[in-house]
Amino acid sequence: MASRIFKLLSTTSVNSIQVRHKFSRGKPPTLARSLKQRIAELEHKDPAVHYQVNIGFKLSNYVDKDYKAAYKKLVKENLHNTDLEKLAYANKINVDLDESKQIWLDTTAPYQIYNVANYYGIYKDLYGDAYFYPIIPLTVDYLYSNDIVPRVHRGNIIQSYLAKEAPSVKYFSNPNSLWTLLCTTPDGNFSDPNIEYCHWFVGNIPGNDVANGEQIIDYLRPIPAQGIGFCRYIFVLYKQNTKLDFSEYKKEQPCLNLVDRNWKTYDFMLKHQNDLTPAGLTFFQCAYDNTLKNFYHTVLNMENPLFEYDFVKPYLKPPVWFPKRQPFNIYMDRYRDEKQINKEYLLRKLKKQHPFKFPDPALKYPNAHAIDQNLPSWLKTEMVNERLGLGRIKNYE
Amino acid sequence: MNNLIKKFRCVNVKSVIAVRHVETNANLLANCIEIRNNNPRNLELMTIARKPEGYTLDNPRSGINYWNKLVVLQTKRSVEAQIHHFRNGPVIKVSSSDWCLRKFLYRTYDVAAYANIGRILAQRCLESGITQIHCNIESERSRKHKVLLSALKKGGLILSEPKTYKHKFAWHMKKSLKPWTV
Repeated sequence: MASRIFKLLSTTSVNSIQVRHKFSRGKPPTLARSLKQRIAELEHKDPAVHYQVNIGFKLSNYVDKDYKAAYKKLVKENLHNTDLEKLAYANKINVDLDESKQIWLDTTAPYQIYNVANYYGIYKDLYGDAYFYPIIPLTVDYLYSNDIVPRVHRGNIIQSYLAKEAPSVKYFSNPNSLWTLLCTTPDGNFSDPNIEYCHWFVGNIPGNDVANGEQIIDYLRPIPAQGIGFCRYIFVLYKQNTKLDFSEYKKEQPCLNLVDRNWKTYDFMLKHQNDLTPAGLTFFQCAYDNTLKNFYHTVLNMENPLFEYDFVKPYLKPPVWFPKRQPFNIYMDRYRDEKQINKEYLLRKLKKQHPFKFPDPALKYPNAHAIDQNLPSWLKTEMVNERLGLGRIKNYE
Repeated sequence: MNNLIKKFRCVNVKSVIAVRHVETNANLLANCIEIRNNNPRNLELMTIARKPEGYTLDNPRSGINYWNKLVVLQTKRSVEAQIHHFRNGPVIKVSSSDWCLRKFLYRTYDVAAYANIGRILAQRCLESGITQIHCNIESERSRKHKVLLSALKKGGLILSEPKTYKHKFAWHMKKSLKPWTV
């Protein structure tokens, strides 16, 4: 007894007193980490290993002296402008969006396009641990018709049928320089999930004249498979130091064999890193549409690929001999083979149908028809659900 | 048709597959075991992705249940509107002290500044593929916020996000419509 009292008195701090947590799992709250801490620990990346390398051009500091002086001068002018003041108080200043965008492209756009590209995982999927600032604004327009000219920005959604033909590409450049344009997608490759499809490859472009460039791989419209969702289609413009020989990538045109279009930007960049520097970036997202079915059948000579998202299967407790308070029919169906159940429902449906007669018209008030009251209650509820199309029957109608 | 339906796996699932020798497109599809969409925003667009739901004692109106959210930061000198992603942080930023906006303004924090920030932010969002955002700013509180939100709406943004799609199993009473099949 004396020793026990001594032990109790010797513990001074609250934390060191042993508390028996009989009904709680894990460590006591003083020692255990919170979920936030645990997620931060899991997602922590060592900066010595996971650092990123800039493979593009260095960004010139646009906040130079002339710019700062012009900024201050204009701000002062605006403050003394009484017309502008009146407009501001009436909330009638409408900034010209096109003009504002042009100024944005000349100043902070590369940083912000870089942010959005990171949000879409562009650099990670194309270059691994490398990145670049898109210093050259690329204008990519699909000339679908006179009225509809969808433009590629930074991840906007463009339907596949609008992007049937090769787009017009514009950028400002020195006419003596040489450029390479690549359009690839890292999503939905049929042969290997880790590689890309090359949709367009034009090399040795003199100046900004894409039509006079050397077309190594011809343009293929976006072909996202049905059910896999939105794929990214990424245009990257590279600046060449010298004229390059791309004959090893050259494919017979039109290149309709998808295996020939397999592409890995990482390997391509690794090989030509001394001669190529990425300078421009635009990308869009595209999902399956109905016009692609015909394209798959007639042009690519393959079936229309159909995929489904694999949802997590529900957790089922191990079955017991005597389940308490469970409807026996529903309970037992959960543990049965799904295929067998499908077969039974399908057979039941086919039994009602006559090959040459029209099906019976649907009941207007299905539950107004009497059900034999001598039947067991589970069968009665099953019949009611069947009439209303509730429960399992909903999958087979 | 049934044998054509193959399993489409989630982005995070990693598995090694052997690349077989295939020549034609039909062969390629027949031998396709796995297809992966690496687009990190795909599940959010398909409304399957999860939103952070918070802890049991969190206030459901505390504004954490979102994919993309509007955040307005006001300082003495300027106003900045941002689109935050719940994981990646700020994605798009528009400030009234930006040269592309400041040039045309009388002051950086008046009602006209808010209205024009809204117009430019809406344009940048649509260009970046963000059409729906979560917004827990109550517009009735201030005239400036009211002007900002109406400019965003006028620009084509929808100020509410869709609910996450919850998959219904075979024995559930009612069928749920898959939003991406519509």
